[in-house]
Amino acid sequence: MNRVVISGVGAVSALGSDVPSLVTGIEQGRSAVRYMEGWNQYVGLRSLVGAPAELKNEKAIPRKSRRSMGRMSIFAVQAAEQALADAGLEREEIGSGRAGCIIGSTMGGAESLNETFETMLPEKDLSRLTAMKFFQCVPHTAAMNVAQYLGITGCVMATSAACASSLQAIGTGYDIIRLGKQDVVLCGGSEELHPTVTASFDLLLATSCGYNDDPQRTPRPFDSKRDGLVCGEGCGILLLEEYGRALSRKARVYAEVVGYNTAASGDHVSESNRESIVLCLREAMASAGVSPRDIGYINAHGTATVHGDKVEAQAIREVFGDTVPVSSLKGYVGHTLGASGALELIVSLAMMEKGVIYPTLNLESVGEDCQGIHHVMKPLARDIRVMIKNCFAFGGINAALVCKRVEP
Amino acid sequence: MKQDMTEQEIIAAVNEVFQEDFEIERERLLPEMNIFEDLELDSLDIVDLVVAMQKKFKVRVRDDERIKSIRTLGDVYQFVLMLKNEGVTPAAQHWKE
Repeated sequence: MNRVVISGVGAVSALGSDVPSLVTGIEQGRSAVRYMEGWNQYVGLRSLVGAPAELKNEKAIPRKSRRSMGRMSIFAVQAAEQALADAGLEREEIGSGRAGCIIGSTMGGAESLNETFETMLPEKDLSRLTAMKFFQCVPHTAAMNVAQYLGITGCVMATSAACASSLQAIGTGYDIIRLGKQDVVLCGGSEELHPTVTASFDLLLATSCGYNDDPQRTPRPFDSKRDGLVCGEGCGILLLEEYGRALSRKARVYAEVVGYNTAASGDHVSESNRESIVLCLREAMASAGVSPRDIGYINAHGTATVHGDKVEAQAIREVFGDTVPVSSLKGYVGHTLGASGALELIVSLAMMEKGVIYPTLNLESVGEDCQGIHHVMKPLARDIRVMIKNCFAFGGINAALVCKRVEP
Repeated sequence: MKQDMTEQEIIAAVNEVFQEDFEIERERLLPEMNIFEDLELDSLDIVDLVVAMQKKFKVRVRDDERIKSIRTLGDVYQFVLMLKNEGVTPAAQHWKE
């Protein structure tokens, strides 16, 4: 099996249009959550907060390429370009068929999906629909648009598993490079914020509704006053590369991907399941050949839902006890759903590089049901050699990825 | 379609579609321009051109065979003029916004 490293990163988030603005924002303890003007026109929508990213410089993408892109694809193209530049790879190097692109999302572009049905349904008339709506609405819109834009001719795939989408994308990229099927894969996830997206969680009583007047205080992962998730948007892309290739071109290496597992609970469509999460974490570590005491940091899924946080804390306690530092980044940028695994892994790699663990924003008093694990509530200096990233999605889908620092 | 539109108004309205929907600079919008070779529209753009023209002129032309023979921007102007002269049934009710 080949070894696989991360040699480039790119991000668009509610804290800014690149990786430095994301990391700096978190370092400064800033929340990008705000009250969403206009959302109160949706009857029955209780959560009126979100973490929107700014769409900018999209005209830098030529019209012919841009026409098939909604917000999430534009974010994805911008993050992918950053990752390529960060890795020091030229476009010509990824058109050989040995380079792929795996980008996940919960669904296609929410804005385009809404526009499509708003256009078509009143008169049930298809003749008003533009040709481009299809390409913006399909679930693989981000992966397809990035591949088209960059001229990628290898494996192009879209993992769609809600909040586990991008971790599955990274895990799949890791697997196909290990198997020797690709040398380089741009992996990640992209998502766009839309009232109908928040509504889908709102209907399931999973959103934060009690902080509409005080948005920066929510979401509150693991906190006693947590009341649900806050949707965000953006894109995180990581360039995965076969170790020898990265080594030979003297690439900067963020970390080596050493373990991955995704497994379902087979139990409940929305409720997290402790046993299956425990199994997923253990299998991910077993595949990496590490044990819980080797893990220096756990980047939690921690969305701030009442049930999800409790079950994740229970699972972490069962596997790791209270010694391994744990934090969630959702308080800063909201829950970016299909992009969260990639965006939060990118920030975790920055923590690994800087030797500091960023705390869980808005965690002021740990919920009774979330105790017994090492919550990081203020910046913590720590040498992280190995870390694990968790993602747990609706549909009972769990995923965990283990990354190890590459010692010079 | 508004029956009192002048030729100049029709040309201006078609040009607006090319500027707004296809981001083509005004100075390139000359009647002799081939919409495929010069203005670089492709088959997908033609679908969207028809949708945009239907909206602009409140007509229903998606199945009009004459669209297939359009080559230049001048052909587009002529096509819309023809529609006007034929007194195409206003689809205003259909296009109420």
